[in-house]
Amino acid sequence: MTEPFLVVRNIAKRFGALTALANVDLEIRSGEVLALLGDNGAGKSTFIKILAGAHPPSDGELVIEGNPVAFSSPKDAAASGIATIFQELALSENLSIAENVFLGRELKRSILGIPFLKRKEMRQRVDGLLKELDAHISDPEAPVGSLSGGQRQAVAICRALNLNARLVIMDEPTAALAVAETRKVLALTRRLAARGCAVVLISHNISEVFEVADRIVVFRRGRKVAERLAAETDHEEVVSLITGAHPDVRALEKTN
Amino acid sequence: MNAVRLIGDGVFSMNGREWSLLVACLLAIVIFSVASPHYATSGNAATVLRNSVELLLIGLGMTLLLAMGGIDVSIGIVMGLAAIAIGRVLGADGNPLLAIVVGPLVGALLGCVTAAVVVLGRVPAIVGTLGLLGVYRTAVFVLLGGQWLSGLPSSLTNLLATSVLGVPVPALAIAVAYLAVWLALRRTPYGLHLLAIGNSEEKARLSGIPVIKVRFITFVISGVLTGIAATFYVATYRNVEMTIGSTLALDAIAAVILGGTSILGGRCSLIGTVLGVLLLRILQNGLLLIGVPSLWQPVVTGVLIIGVLGFEAVCNGLPLGRFQRARA
Ligand SMILES: Nc1ncnc2c1ncn2[C@@H]1O[C@H](COP(=O)(O)OP(=O)(O)O)[C@@H](O)[C@H]1O
Ligand SMILES: [Mg+2]
Repeated sequence: MTEPFLVVRNIAKRFGALTALANVDLEIRSGEVLALLGDNGAGKSTFIKILAGAHPPSDGELVIEGNPVAFSSPKDAAASGIATIFQELALSENLSIAENVFLGRELKRSILGIPFLKRKEMRQRVDGLLKELDAHISDPEAPVGSLSGGQRQAVAICRALNLNARLVIMDEPTAALAVAETRKVLALTRRLAARGCAVVLISHNISEVFEVADRIVVFRRGRKVAERLAAETDHEEVVSLITGAHPDVRALEKTN
Repeated sequence: MNAVRLIGDGVFSMNGREWSLLVACLLAIVIFSVASPHYATSGNAATVLRNSVELLLIGLGMTLLLAMGGIDVSIGIVMGLAAIAIGRVLGADGNPLLAIVVGPLVGALLGCVTAAVVVLGRVPAIVGTLGLLGVYRTAVFVLLGGQWLSGLPSSLTNLLATSVLGVPVPALAIAVAYLAVWLALRRTPYGLHLLAIGNSEEKARLSGIPVIKVRFITFVISGVLTGIAATFYVATYRNVEMTIGSTLALDAIAAVILGGTSILGGRCSLIGTVLGVLLLRILQNGLLLIGVPSLWQPVVTGVLIIGVLGFEAVCNGLPLGRFQRARA
């Protein structure tokens, strides 16, 4: 096994009196698709928001390639090679595709000390990325507000690719997509891993997860209750882990 | 395919809204010319343009604020405070160059105060600036001691009432300000960040945009533009009265909304603001000339704001749309 890209140690997150996450340990490896599963409110989104620098953890630490890191903003996480595609996508509908792909880290040239956008370079780069993704979007100038759900997902993935991310996190990327678009996003997920990226994927669709994931981690009520290699488990076991019917989960929840 | 393009990208990009405003301006001019023999004179045209200078400068700043999802209802009194500072400098030694620097400087300073309250203090912009409006009103009263600041020397006027290569200095200043704001908005990362914040502050934050910094800077820019407006105000009138700027914020917000900038943020038109200011000033001037008392001017502005926002709500099908979605 390769050295993990990211090690998560004993992470906890509290919102006031509510404990959204407790004692989460996890290793995320390059070239691997890791699926996070769990019921609504299990803490999946909260967990990846911590990885993405959008929430500071209440406890615990993140270690990237042996170095502890502390993110105070999504920009910090991005600088460490973590790109996140949030459930709510975080795209600006009023801006163009190209502007969205580069938002927050635009290409610029300095004229008299003022940073001006390199609009042509950004457009060309996004054009290339969209072709590479086979996204069927011909105009990087179109506002994101005019795109379909799948097209928006492609724009968000472009954003991650453009960052040269080492870890791409996707929160329910296929939830709002039609079948054909879902196929495309899943294929893309595998392609990211083949490029040597670490991929963390949140999904509610278990067959989808078995199609793309190398490893499966199950969250329940803010805890990580199970971790399995996809090849060594099956649909049925995963369902029982999510619902808490599995003996392992029962034993765990009794001790706490 | 994909004929959809982002609107208003060019320096003077005109869309349906802007063309309608232009037509409305021309229509108003024709109607007033017929209605009043005093209207269609070169002197009156100069008066309308002259009366638009401060509002154009302040309107550019207000466009940025509204596009960002912000607002500043104290901006007129900010101009008043800057004008008092300029008046004091002029009254003391009459140095016009010093006076030119003081306006934008005081404007920037007050912009920092507003930003401190609204951005750092996280008070909603409408509430925070309303509070500042109250404070500043009293400040103007105290500073002026219940009297007009009048009889200021003409040194500043002599400097700013001139022309450079046949172009009046105020027109030049507005052109430079317009171009600078346009460049910032459409050609720099700052402009993208501002529009992203106006669309959704949370999404902007998740995209790695320095939201606090961008919002802070925008209030300062608006302050600087307001300070420049104050300089032209003092140069023109050579006095500062107690009620200075009391309708400016209302006028600026009306003109900007009229111009097609969204009150909800995320979308704006600079050329729309310019045309909105001109239409507003044309209407105010024309109504005065056909005998409507100036008392009615804020009514015109108010009706315009309500009319435009009401019209947009109907066009976007908002009330009906919400209702249908709620039932679905
Ligand atoms: N910003 C927040 N403030 C307060 N509570 C939150 C916040 N975000 C999430 N939570 C709570 O934390 C728990 C986990 O939520 P979430 O991570 O969104 O779950 P999942 O993505 O697995 O459905 C839920 O009880 C949710 O209500
Ligand atoms: Mg979620």
